[in-house]
Amino acid sequence: MSSPAKNSRTGLVAISAMFAALALIFSYIEFLVPLPVPVPGIKLGLANLVIIIAIYRMSFRHAFAINVARILLAGLLFSGVFGMIYSFAGGVLSIVVMYVLYRTGLFSMVGVSMAGGVAHNLGQLITACILLQNTAILSYFPVLLFSGLISGIAIGILAYIIEKRLPAFN
Amino acid sequence: MIKKADIILFILILAAGLIVSFLPLAGTLERPQVKVTVAGDTYGIYDLNKDQTVEITQETEAGTITNLLIIENGQCRMEQASCHNQICVNHSPIDSRGEVIVCLPNRVVVEIVGDSGKGGDVDVISG
Repeated sequence: MSSPAKNSRTGLVAISAMFAALALIFSYIEFLVPLPVPVPGIKLGLANLVIIIAIYRMSFRHAFAINVARILLAGLLFSGVFGMIYSFAGGVLSIVVMYVLYRTGLFSMVGVSMAGGVAHNLGQLITACILLQNTAILSYFPVLLFSGLISGIAIGILAYIIEKRLPAFN
Repeated sequence: MIKKADIILFILILAAGLIVSFLPLAGTLERPQVKVTVAGDTYGIYDLNKDQTVEITQETEAGTITNLLIIENGQCRMEQASCHNQICVNHSPIDSRGEVIVCLPNRVVVEIVGDSGKGGDVDVISG
């Protein structure tokens, strides 16, 4: 019907905005319903679902912009400025890792998401070490590594199923 | 759906995780100490085997921030904290070297260290 070439740029902007809103809602859900675990920092990472699909379907720039918008808004709305710094470090590290793995073409969505989950937790932990000037927090690393691995796999499987069913963008 | 590279990566991460998990187990200690750090500065070092209550107070522009640490029966736990998320209060008691209770909003770190109180010895003030 409409010519995709002409509308695709505007279309992508609209889809990016929608994705950012969706990612923000996912962050909100996780803020409202935290997982019942005693260790701080363990999350499912629902927002990552949106980011992975953005990497696959749009581009690194779009995915990055969506993620930054989500982190800024979620930081201002619920997690606070400190929370924003942690999310930002985790978010940037994880999106870079995921994009690099995606570009190699060797990995499926599950592998990409798994590495992203671990990278996210690692980024947050390193930031915590820097902000608190204390390396003892690194003892959380194994727990966060395994939780990132498991939640990354879960999100990767979900993303794979959802991505197959999404119509083409443009 | 799942490729061979995924499985290799999974095994690598898993192996790395297992290695880091077992590292801190090396080396036990005789007289464990509880080290309290506030925003990177050492607030105090306390004997883990002596029952005591430590009040950690910080004066800020927004008011007084408090954390109440209780050391008893060779364990320590955060009894009360003025922060909004209460993660440190809900943390289970800690009793062995390397274990930590962190209160991110108040920037308080409680950690169990060896005799000399060594641990994060870097004393740079974070912004």
